[in-house]
Amino acid sequence: MTAAGIKLHPACRVRQEEFGLLFYDSRGPSLLFAETGRLLDPDYFDRVRGRGEFPAGLSAQQKQALQNFISTLLERGFLREQ
Amino acid sequence: MSNRFVEAGLSSPVNLTWEVTLACNLRCRHCLSSSAEPAVDELSTAEALELVAQLHQDGVFQINFGGGEPFMRPDFMQILAACHARGMMTCISTNGTLLTPERVEQLSRTRLVAIQVSLDGAQKSTCEAIRGQGTYDAAINALELLARSPIPTSINTVLTADNADEIHALQQLAGQLGVTLRISRFRPSGRGADNWEELRPSPAQLVAFSAWLADNQNIRTGDSFFSLTSRERQGLGLNLCGAAKLTCCVGPTGKVYPCAFLQSDRFTAGNLRQNSFKEIWDNSEIFTSFRGLRIHSCEDCQRFDQCHGGCPAVAYHLKDDIEGGDPECLERCVTSIAAANAKESAA
Repeated sequence: MTAAGIKLHPACRVRQEEFGLLFYDSRGPSLLFAETGRLLDPDYFDRVRGRGEFPAGLSAQQKQALQNFISTLLERGFLREQ
Repeated sequence: MSNRFVEAGLSSPVNLTWEVTLACNLRCRHCLSSSAEPAVDELSTAEALELVAQLHQDGVFQINFGGGEPFMRPDFMQILAACHARGMMTCISTNGTLLTPERVEQLSRTRLVAIQVSLDGAQKSTCEAIRGQGTYDAAINALELLARSPIPTSINTVLTADNADEIHALQQLAGQLGVTLRISRFRPSGRGADNWEELRPSPAQLVAFSAWLADNQNIRTGDSFFSLTSRERQGLGLNLCGAAKLTCCVGPTGKVYPCAFLQSDRFTAGNLRQNSFKEIWDNSEIFTSFRGLRIHSCEDCQRFDQCHGGCPAVAYHLKDDIEGGDPECLERCVTSIAAANAKESAA
């Protein structure tokens, strides 16, 4: 059995801002401001990713923070599992 | 919503209103832009397509098309196709009269469009008193057509004194049709200014509507009623004016404004025939002033954190004072009702 992947919901978009990532959900519409700085590029969400698949070179602490962040995005509907 | 990030300024709007034409086949009494004939020198097809490319490049997530009646523009489907080819989300505000099965079928091929059909009363007579003869049936036909498609569709109703008592019936009608209900605020611009006193909801109607919204959290308002937001709806949308911070408006001739209700020379932020959208968004003095706008007269109000002074456009149109605080905010409505009651008791 393969682990579920995650992807940006089709109704959502994301872009880089100075503070980090800005997520937009056209269904609300609603916004999510994520103070991620340059930790994660918006392109990361362009394709299906494994739950623990992050860019190389991150510390364990950064990876944990991103795991929590991904969980929040899933809960809020910006990402979906597939 | 994090006001801290919004007030610091975003690299581009998250969405914007683009009034693609002033041409309209209706003469609605509340029309915000007095639409009728097309404006002189509206953006050409090439200019419109160039704007789509710029907005995509700038990272704008969604374009909300209005007018006028957008489908009056012969190249409107081409403009939409250019947005969708770039993955940009779109929403069309239409009176529904020009929606054909062919157009709906064509639009159904993309998952990037939502449509709002204007309907200003659950009763035919209420709607047509505002929008004109034949508009009710035309809107219902369009809504039925859209409801059979995969396109997310809503009824868009402008709250007025005439239809305030029909909002619940409109919600039921939307449910019967299989669409959602969106309610917009009536503002005194365009023909709406000419008919303001007659059509404006009373303070009692606005207070009742605020309470109704609190009980019906699935109703969308396009954030146009944040001045009336109850505690129950806090967190569902904006708690401040998003003009020039999260959104803005492009007019039919390429002029850019903070919002659709402030389309006048005084509030022109720039012209796309002279500057790129990015240059206007980043450098316009009007936009800079809106980003720094603080409604100090409202800061002591108990509801300040919920609306931050409300809609500057309404304050401007009614008091000629952009910083004057929204004259129709929930606090002022409640105060006004209490004052009227006290006066009545004393008499």
